[in-house]
Amino acid sequence: MRALLPVLAIVFATAHAEGVTSLAPKLLPPERAFHLSARALDASTIEARFDVADGYYLYRDKMQFSSEPVPVAKPDLPPGKPKHDAFFGDVETYRGEVVVRLPLARAAPGKTITLHANSQGCADVGVCYPPNPQQLTLAIPAGGKPGAFVEAGRKGLFQ
Amino acid sequence: MSEASSLGASSGVPPNPRPRRRLLIVGAVAAAALGLGIGTAYFLRDGHDAGRDGAAVLGLVLPDLHGQQQPLAQWRGKVLVVNFWATWCAPCREEMPEFVAAQARDGPKGVQFVGIAVDDPDKVRTFAQEVKLNYPALIGGYGAIELSKTLGNELAALPFTIVVDRQGRVAHTQLGPLKRAALDALLARLLPQA
Repeated sequence: MRALLPVLAIVFATAHAEGVTSLAPKLLPPERAFHLSARALDASTIEARFDVADGYYLYRDKMQFSSEPVPVAKPDLPPGKPKHDAFFGDVETYRGEVVVRLPLARAAPGKTITLHANSQGCADVGVCYPPNPQQLTLAIPAGGKPGAFVEAGRKGLFQ
Repeated sequence: MSEASSLGASSGVPPNPRPRRRLLIVGAVAAAALGLGIGTAYFLRDGHDAGRDGAAVLGLVLPDLHGQQQPLAQWRGKVLVVNFWATWCAPCREEMPEFVAAQARDGPKGVQFVGIAVDDPDKVRTFAQEVKLNYPALIGGYGAIELSKTLGNELAALPFTIVVDRQGRVAHTQLGPLKRAALDALLARLLPQA
């Protein structure tokens, strides 16, 4: 067995070296790295939720929401983890689950709302994804019961 | 050592079956290692499109920071390192000082770095001054992400770098930072090819 060790060492060293140069197979597409879902909490509140995969993070100041036909007010984004960026200065990042409450400008019981979300994040291995606009359609409940979670579809950036 | 000596003894029954078996195992592992090496080389060629015609890269024409259209074909015959980047991409910014150093060091030997920014000209200008960028920063805007996808950047993430050799073939494509050692090895291999 001892005679095999140098050979095995070369095999593993080779495999490792190749793995490092090729990040693509290990990376998630942005809609999976930063999975977005949302629901109506009541007739005047939307809850948006990002599930950020391990090894990925989102920038707090790049997160934007809008909606139609009833607009959402500027949300109170939860505090992120401070990070110093050499070019942009102090920024905040989100990992794991990010829950954002979006108050509608006025109650819209029984209406259908289109929510637009824009987010931008990176992977720890050293790549960043461009801003990722997504949209989803929510049925606002007429009563006080929260609606079901809806998964985001991807809206093409350049269409 | 016994394996090495029995390698020469190709005829006759080996006196002791044990070394022979060990030899077979070593041989099998060595063959597997070779196979794996070939396998990953293939994978790299597939995934990195090495050897592919670089006409799609050399055919690009994009404006520089002065609004001047710059065809990449003007650098045909050089080792061309085309780097898609953005100021909003921290890993991109982190690797660029190395590109600046490599351009200064190997520029006279025939390397040409070109940055294609998925960004606004103002931010690019500010950052270019900050790192004393010594190679062209072309402005692609967000559309340059789609452009990079057509060149093999399926995930549309940054940084993404394509190296085209002097013959106009794609020698390497890289998603994620191009580490200094890998860059140096690539340039050492490609620059001498006249």
